[in-house]
Amino acid sequence: MNKLDKQFEEMMKGIRIDSPSSDFTLKVMSRIQAEAAVQRRPLLQNYQPVISKKTWIILIAAFVLLMIYITVSGKDAAPAGGSVFWSAVAQSMNVFKTGESSILQKGVGIFSLVPTIAYLIVLASLALWTLDGFLGRFSHRSSEIHIK
Amino acid sequence: MDKKEDQYYIEAVRNGNIQAFAFLVEKYQKLIYTLALKLLKRPEDAEEMAQDTFIKAYQKLDSYEGKSKFSTWIYSITYNACISELRKRRIEFKSLEDQRITEQDEMKMHDYYRETKKEDQEKYLNLALGKLPEDDQVLVTLYYYENQSMDEISEITGLTVSNIKVKIHRARKKMYSLLHEMLNEEIYSLL
Repeated sequence: MNKLDKQFEEMMKGIRIDSPSSDFTLKVMSRIQAEAAVQRRPLLQNYQPVISKKTWIILIAAFVLLMIYITVSGKDAAPAGGSVFWSAVAQSMNVFKTGESSILQKGVGIFSLVPTIAYLIVLASLALWTLDGFLGRFSHRSSEIHIK
Repeated sequence: MDKKEDQYYIEAVRNGNIQAFAFLVEKYQKLIYTLALKLLKRPEDAEEMAQDTFIKAYQKLDSYEGKSKFSTWIYSITYNACISELRKRRIEFKSLEDQRITEQDEMKMHDYYRETKKEDQEKYLNLALGKLPEDDQVLVTLYYYENQSMDEISEITGLTVSNIKVKIHRARKKMYSLLHEMLNEEIYSLL
């Protein structure tokens, strides 16, 4: 810093520094407390889905393969606990049977081969998937205070 | 010492003592508000900007590595936020025309200035500073009042050191020129 700079610096020490409102610190600290409270939401802050996308793909593939296996291997291969409901529906279709190749009857017949537990698994998975999606969206709501 | 003191409170905040942040707010609020006011002009905008600066600083505190002074880091948050705000408002800084004032004139002006009354000195100095372009006001305040180095100002503003040197040199000359005009006017009004 040369002499002129020093001289000017000495002069500049006399400038008036402006002050914000008297409750400035209080206002800032109350905003920070609110910010900290948002950051403290422990359960949802770092929420991770119970089942990852990769696992979902594997589960869906396994389920599809199981369905194909049951369908291809026929009624004899079906587990003893086959769906009573779908069997009843298939039998009731016999009343309206118009020929051996009734497409509707065949379709319903396939469902009768699937064990009841498989439907329960599908329902539970769908419920879990919906809950995961809801919690995931909720946790992604930004906790940041938006600056204008 | 100053940096160590700041670091102590920063660590306290990081360890969960939110109230420790109040120390940093108390310490830097005046200069942050002043910088914001020089750039944004309106007191209510400056106050809001100063508050937002502290909130941003709190949110980003983990990213402050301590390589530079805390003041440099927080002033850069203020400066950048103000510049973004001005860009939104599409306000451009006025340019500073070259002043034909010699070093001898500056010396004389300084002596003359020292002879004026203390309260008048402060009044004229603030008036002259207020007539500089907004960014020059910030540079002059940071360099001469806050004793930030050229490198630190470069970090805050993103300007090159050589550019800052030129701007500060021209701003100083302009301020002397404005003070000269004001003090002359006062003498003529007394005669």
